[in-house]
Amino acid sequence: MSRHAKKLEELGIPTAPCTGVNVSKYVAGWDTLYASGIPLRYVVFPLPVAGAPRLAHEMYVNGNDPVTGQPIMEEIVAALTKQLTADEQMTGLPPAALESRFLPPDTEENLQELFKVEDWTDYLPIVLPTEERVSSMLGGTSHKPDEVVKTITWPGGARQVTVEKVAISAVMAGAKPQYLPVILATATMAPFGNSTTSMANMIIVNGPIRKEIGMNSGTDAMGPYNEPNAVIGRTFTLLSKTVGNLHAGVTTFSSLGSNLQYNNCCFAENEEALPQGWDSLSVQSGYQKEDSVVTVCTGWTYISSVGEVQLSYPPQFLIRDYMRALSGQGSAALLCADPLVAQNLRNEQGFTTKEMLARWLSENVRIPAQQYWGNGVVATFNWNLGLQGLEPYATWQKMPPEELIAPFSNHKAINTVVVGGQTNNLWFITDFRLGKGVSIDAWR
Amino acid sequence: MAEAKSQQRATVASATADEIRVLNPACKNTLVERVPLAPRTFASLAGKTIYLVDIGWGGPDAAYDVFQLMQEWFAGNIPSVKTVLVRKKGAYGVDDPDLWSEIKAKGDACIIGISC
Repeated sequence: MSRHAKKLEELGIPTAPCTGVNVSKYVAGWDTLYASGIPLRYVVFPLPVAGAPRLAHEMYVNGNDPVTGQPIMEEIVAALTKQLTADEQMTGLPPAALESRFLPPDTEENLQELFKVEDWTDYLPIVLPTEERVSSMLGGTSHKPDEVVKTITWPGGARQVTVEKVAISAVMAGAKPQYLPVILATATMAPFGNSTTSMANMIIVNGPIRKEIGMNSGTDAMGPYNEPNAVIGRTFTLLSKTVGNLHAGVTTFSSLGSNLQYNNCCFAENEEALPQGWDSLSVQSGYQKEDSVVTVCTGWTYISSVGEVQLSYPPQFLIRDYMRALSGQGSAALLCADPLVAQNLRNEQGFTTKEMLARWLSENVRIPAQQYWGNGVVATFNWNLGLQGLEPYATWQKMPPEELIAPFSNHKAINTVVVGGQTNNLWFITDFRLGKGVSIDAWR
Repeated sequence: MAEAKSQQRATVASATADEIRVLNPACKNTLVERVPLAPRTFASLAGKTIYLVDIGWGGPDAAYDVFQLMQEWFAGNIPSVKTVLVRKKGAYGVDDPDLWSEIKAKGDACIIGISC
């Protein structure tokens, strides 16, 4: 919101931006330093705002700012009328702090503690990134240590993530040098999803590198039973905190958080068990079978079929039923299907391609309009688009509350990945949206 | 929090035995140029027109009545204030230059929100 308030201030309009207490530290510090550059006079409201009854809102408006303890309406008046301080009139670049390549030498115990104090870890033990270890890790790629993998600009500022910085986090996570090309490719998608809505990520690897480094795509592929699956996923989390600067209460505000962020659900697709005619995710993204590719997905929800497929109720019916619990935001869904389920869908149900299944689900998942609009993410992003006349939202807004809509209207956002060891015909349906497939070979 | 970190760093810096050297995992961030606030040219809101802008965060019902309650507050406490309650067009992060122009032309100040 600071961009809107900034534009108003730049037009000469005194502005009082209002925000929830969860982001008060961010807007008062980080946003001014690295994003907007303007010391906006934020007025802080208690939470929740969305979903709270009018009585609560009355108490907020007639109550106090939870940060300053001052009456909110008096703060608003002061924000619009009080003379500017010298700091509020400042222009130009503030002095920058130097950041060295090395940390001050110290004992292992103190350094382990320092990494926790700086919130550079996931609070599980890390391997300290000595020069020797990082140098060894860099042997996993032909790229130079100072090559910039990505410049991260969110949530403000610009941080040049070099190959060496990625290697440092890889060492911390316990990675082997041969994992580094995969990790560098995932780093191009860092940091992980960050929202008050407690987002998460999923990392899926395709291509020959799965076997080269021993990733698991079979039994227990999505559990803590394989070193590269575990460590590559963990590195994405550490990168999100070290170079991504995502720190609780300062730049992240997830209400519940997501346990998936410990490992980001990292696994490989079981390409060897794909049914005939079903392409792998990477081939669907335009790559060749011989290419090694990583896809980083973003979402929230992860629902298990719990039990095995029943002859009396084809799997696509139960998948359809469970998809009714997903928000439908962006039409996104990702089915993680054991090869047994994939074979059933292909051979028994007649879905000869993944796309054919996606089209069926797009047409057959239906929910009441009021359920769709009852989701805060959907309402936040799409309601105003409907007010502007954008379809299908404009039509869905006008529907009677109980009328059914097909929220997964874009079948291209419904994807399937085949994973698992064929020990039982189970599946997960998730609302994860696929990111762009990234070449791992380019980082060898 | 910052003080605690500083104390922790001081503790770390004072250690002497069995030292090792490790690389810094963090990236230097670039600061942005500071932008000043608009001058506050009036000491009171009496007689002014204030736009109340709902950006739509959390949906259409999330904060709209907060702004309605603000209108009631102004009516009771500074009755000469004229309030204009509007919804910003587009999703919450999308620019709305037409609205900013309207506020510039017809308003004196703005209250905008509520982000969470």
